[in-house]
Amino acid sequence: MFKQLKTITGGLMALCMPVAAMMAAANTAKAADPTEVRIMWYSDGNEGDVMRDLLDRFEKQNPDIKVTLDRVPYKTVVEQLPALLDSGQGPDLARVTDLGGLSRHYLDLRPHLKNAKYFDDNFASSLPWFRPANGNKDGIYGVMSQLALTLPLVNTTLFQQAGIPLPGPKATWDDWAKASKAVADKVKAPYPMAFDRSGHRISGMSISMGGKFIDGDKPALVDAGFKSGMKNLVDWHANGTMSKALWGSVGGTAYRGATEEFANAQVVFYMSGTWQFTQFAKTVAKNFEWQAVANPCGPAACTGMPGGAALVPIKATKNPQAVARVVEYFASEPVYEEYHARTLFLPAHAGLAKKGINYVTDDANVKKSLAIAVEQVAQTSPIAFKFQGYEHNRILFNAMISRVNQAISGEMSLDDAYTRMQADIVEGFAAKGIKLQ
Amino acid sequence: MRPESDISMASLTLDTITKSFGQLEILHGIDLDIADGEFVVFVGPSGCGKSTLLRVIAGLEPATGGTIAIDGEDVTHHSAAARGLAMVFQSYALYPHMSVYDNLAFGLENMRMPKDQIAQRVNTAAQLLQIDKLLQRKPGQLSGGQRQRVAIGRAITRNPKIFLFDEPLSNLDAELRVQMRIELSKLHKDLKSTMIYVTHDQVEAMTMADKIVVLRDGRIEQIGKPLDLYNHPANKFVAGFIGSPRMNFISARVTQSSATRVSVSCGGMQDTALPVNGTGLAQGDMVSLGIRPEHLELDAAGDWTLTVDVVEQLGGTSFIHGTLPSNEALSIAVNGQTNVSHGQPIRIRPKPGMVHLFATTEGERALPPSSASV
Amino acid sequence: MKQNAQPPLDAEMSTTAERFSRGFALAYTGLMRALEPPFAAIQKRVGIKGMAYVFVAPNMIIFSVFVALPMILNIWYALTGSNRLMIGERPFVGLDNFSALLDCKDYLDVNSCKQDRFWRAVHNSVLFVALQVTAMVALSLVTALILNGKLRARGFFRAVFFFPVLLSPVVVALIWKWILQRDGLLNAFLMDGGFERVAFLHDASWSFFWTVFVSVWAHMGFYALILLAGLQAIPADLYEAAEMDGTPKWRVFWRITVPLLLPTLLVVVILSLIRAVQAFDEIYVLTGGGPGTATQFIVQYIYETAFANQVHLLGLAAAASLLVAVVLMVLTLLQLRISYHGKTS
Ligand SMILES: Nc1ncnc2c1ncn2[C@@H]1O[C@H](COP(=O)(O)OP(=O)(O)O)[C@@H](O)[C@H]1O
Ligand SMILES: [Mg+2]
Repeated sequence: MFKQLKTITGGLMALCMPVAAMMAAANTAKAADPTEVRIMWYSDGNEGDVMRDLLDRFEKQNPDIKVTLDRVPYKTVVEQLPALLDSGQGPDLARVTDLGGLSRHYLDLRPHLKNAKYFDDNFASSLPWFRPANGNKDGIYGVMSQLALTLPLVNTTLFQQAGIPLPGPKATWDDWAKASKAVADKVKAPYPMAFDRSGHRISGMSISMGGKFIDGDKPALVDAGFKSGMKNLVDWHANGTMSKALWGSVGGTAYRGATEEFANAQVVFYMSGTWQFTQFAKTVAKNFEWQAVANPCGPAACTGMPGGAALVPIKATKNPQAVARVVEYFASEPVYEEYHARTLFLPAHAGLAKKGINYVTDDANVKKSLAIAVEQVAQTSPIAFKFQGYEHNRILFNAMISRVNQAISGEMSLDDAYTRMQADIVEGFAAKGIKLQ
Repeated sequence: MRPESDISMASLTLDTITKSFGQLEILHGIDLDIADGEFVVFVGPSGCGKSTLLRVIAGLEPATGGTIAIDGEDVTHHSAAARGLAMVFQSYALYPHMSVYDNLAFGLENMRMPKDQIAQRVNTAAQLLQIDKLLQRKPGQLSGGQRQRVAIGRAITRNPKIFLFDEPLSNLDAELRVQMRIELSKLHKDLKSTMIYVTHDQVEAMTMADKIVVLRDGRIEQIGKPLDLYNHPANKFVAGFIGSPRMNFISARVTQSSATRVSVSCGGMQDTALPVNGTGLAQGDMVSLGIRPEHLELDAAGDWTLTVDVVEQLGGTSFIHGTLPSNEALSIAVNGQTNVSHGQPIRIRPKPGMVHLFATTEGERALPPSSASV
Repeated sequence: MKQNAQPPLDAEMSTTAERFSRGFALAYTGLMRALEPPFAAIQKRVGIKGMAYVFVAPNMIIFSVFVALPMILNIWYALTGSNRLMIGERPFVGLDNFSALLDCKDYLDVNSCKQDRFWRAVHNSVLFVALQVTAMVALSLVTALILNGKLRARGFFRAVFFFPVLLSPVVVALIWKWILQRDGLLNAFLMDGGFERVAFLHDASWSFFWTVFVSVWAHMGFYALILLAGLQAIPADLYEAAEMDGTPKWRVFWRITVPLLLPTLLVVVILSLIRAVQAFDEIYVLTGGGPGTATQFIVQYIYETAFANQVHLLGLAAAASLLVAVVLMVLTLLQLRISYHGKTS
């Protein structure tokens, strides 16, 4: 009896479904009067709110376009967006950080833009980052929504409490490691040095140590410079300069930041990046003093990794014109300037960089840090820029972070880890249809 | 059969045994003596506490009050195993995963008896019960009657002081029940052990018992030999319970009483004089008149009239069910066959000396109290 | 009726309830009447026997779309390469994915394997399954035995042991992470007691221990409940018979309880075995497979290979999941066989 009832209800539901679908279709037809543009957007800080605010203004000026800002966690962009794009179901625009890896899905906006020259003039250095290898040589495949730079954030209050001076602008990685450890020991902080668990974050150090990463269009991960960078990480974990509690708490290629620990004044030296400023302005507030410092030096350079997020148009969009208008609005100088001023991001806009942005903050820590960040952009190694623009850099990032972690946890030697990194890279390229060796 | 020396027998004495489950008292002070080698049957309606009493004796339930002695030794606080009794459960409670042999041997293994002795005991019991061909089977592969034998066999091998049976035949069909009844009686004669047997079926009680204990609501109503209970029920309950078909009861009013004779008016008929000691009865007292169906006979000159409702002819016996003028029902058993038919008024009379009188006051004891009709 | 004798409130309530149930009955008959014509029309076409299939159809459609089809797709993914999601764009590679997975010089030495991560996961899973299932069965049996006994507040304790089963795996993991992490509850207790802080979640052995512990904690109630049902299915009079037979307690346990519980026990073993092979959610949230790959199990390997890593090696992941499916299939068949035997004996 019950089973029968169940099947009857099942049948009922099946009968109702087409009706519901028709009603839904009718609804969308009505709402589709203005063209809808969907943006998949993740946020580190307040940029989602700022963007929405700016888009509201855009919608008022352009009643024929409705922009939906789908706010998602960063993980969604990393893990789900690629599958959506592969299946042709992505949004019209997305804010992504894997600029090169997804580039085959991007749309060249040049034919749809009113003023393409404006982009050529102002975004020349970042446009190549998301241009697909076999795309149009002068294609405009998006616009940076944030220029970022990896650099260390330091809890200066802890240094003061420990009575140890901050290492100077030309200090080496070694200097910083020793100083951080000394401070932590003095003030009993559990994490002398912390790195975001990410291949991107540890690449700057390796380049400073002499790592090259690529050779032409081929990956060339393991060299002496890279090795000394990796050895630093293993050694620091072994001698307690870095705590296994952070990287050890997850496995594989999983990301693990230390923002909470830093905000709790448990971290002396935090290798992260410029995108953290707004967040710490809020979470740290006036609890202690902190600031960004210049990237420590190795024998080859004193560089961080550039990077950041771009707003990219997706090829599968049905409304390229509308998408181009949204992008053009966002990239226009006043809007772009306001966006950066309010989000405290570094602009990837040559004109604005020269002019300087009047950031909307009264937080002294942030002010100081932004000044240093702008300086640091100029210090960034060309290798770092090139590696950041390398289409397949994520394969390398993943290989190094997962394997160096196995070396750190003692599952394999560093030498074995290097072998495995290379094997992973070969496998990753093979999956993309590129045969190495 | 088993060697004499193996047979252990025991007497049992219960002294004001009470048993409560929580607040609810189920047994209200049971006094009972059971002699060596006696076959005692506890009988009573369902829920009267027979099983509970048996389980208290077995040691599966602790008594709430009173003492239990076996062969004079106080075992009230001994564990079930230490009392040395064996029980045959209504559900048989055979170990389903063990062969018949292992079922019989299990208790002996607990006693760490040498293997050859176990084998000897098991085989003797199996032969006695004619289950020696079934020893390798599992209980699931046996019929109800065979399982019953195995359950009894398991009790026998342990050579207990007293056998306890809790309605062992109630899961068998009628025919098998009769057969097993006879076999159990025979077994008792062979083993000469003390046996306590619980049943709600008075036929089993009558046919098997040396001594019947009638229980009602946790109290003993009467103890006695089967025929004593039949002939001299101590009260209306026992009278109604023992004997089949059931005794007829008619309400009656005393019209006259003396030390040798009581006259009553009953059934809406004229006075009936009974040869009964009427001491203590006064004219006008209400009593219950009891007479068994087999103690009524058709007699055209009888004092009582009956309108026949139903006639049951069994061939050897016939039952006539009818209504008295007072509208009370009455049944008669007659030997052989009868040509009485439905609706016919017939005349009947009680066989002399077979009428019982019971008080209508609490206890409904037999009158005179010393029991016995004359 | 005795309506007059009832207090007015009661009467009111009963009429409300009556009205409600009358309304419900009305709606029901209305609905049934509305459904009658279309179903009658269908029945005219397919006949009374065919109607069975009509009623089963929605379920079958859901099954084929959400179960059967993905299973077939999985096989296709396993036989194709590249990082493309659309099956049309994936080149056929035959058994390459399988041979890559199985490419090992020595299956006991993960470092000799081409897919060392897969084999680390396999080794971890084998150890995990062995420890977890043993602990699960032993502890749930002990729990069931205790709960089956004469225990004060038995219902309360049953609820306590069953409660974790009702929690979402993520909640379970977060609770334990909060207890075990560096600044967690347990370390706070240890340090209060004057002990050193212990790296519960980033020491390989500790974190392996805790994955076993937490997954046993989370699911034990379920198996204890099954075993409890099994224990209660053993007739009480068998224990009384054994008591009359003067059987010592341990012998009752081994000769009566265990053999009679065996079918249930086997079901529990197989079920927990299958679930241990599939272990993922709590552990992924608790340790993320770390430190290193110390607690990375087979399902996490499949998930990360297919979805979390930058280059989605869908073929490799599909091949690995097929291998796991074969193992699970064997275990399931074993269970069916055993429960079938349990029923017939
Ligand atoms: N374990 C128990 N807990 C509570 N009440 C019980 C228990 N066992 C028996 N009883 C009650 O005791 C009374 C007598 O039961 P029992 O001895 O089984 O009757 P009989 O065997 O004469 O039919 C019944 O009312 C029964 O409900
Ligand atoms: Mg009973």
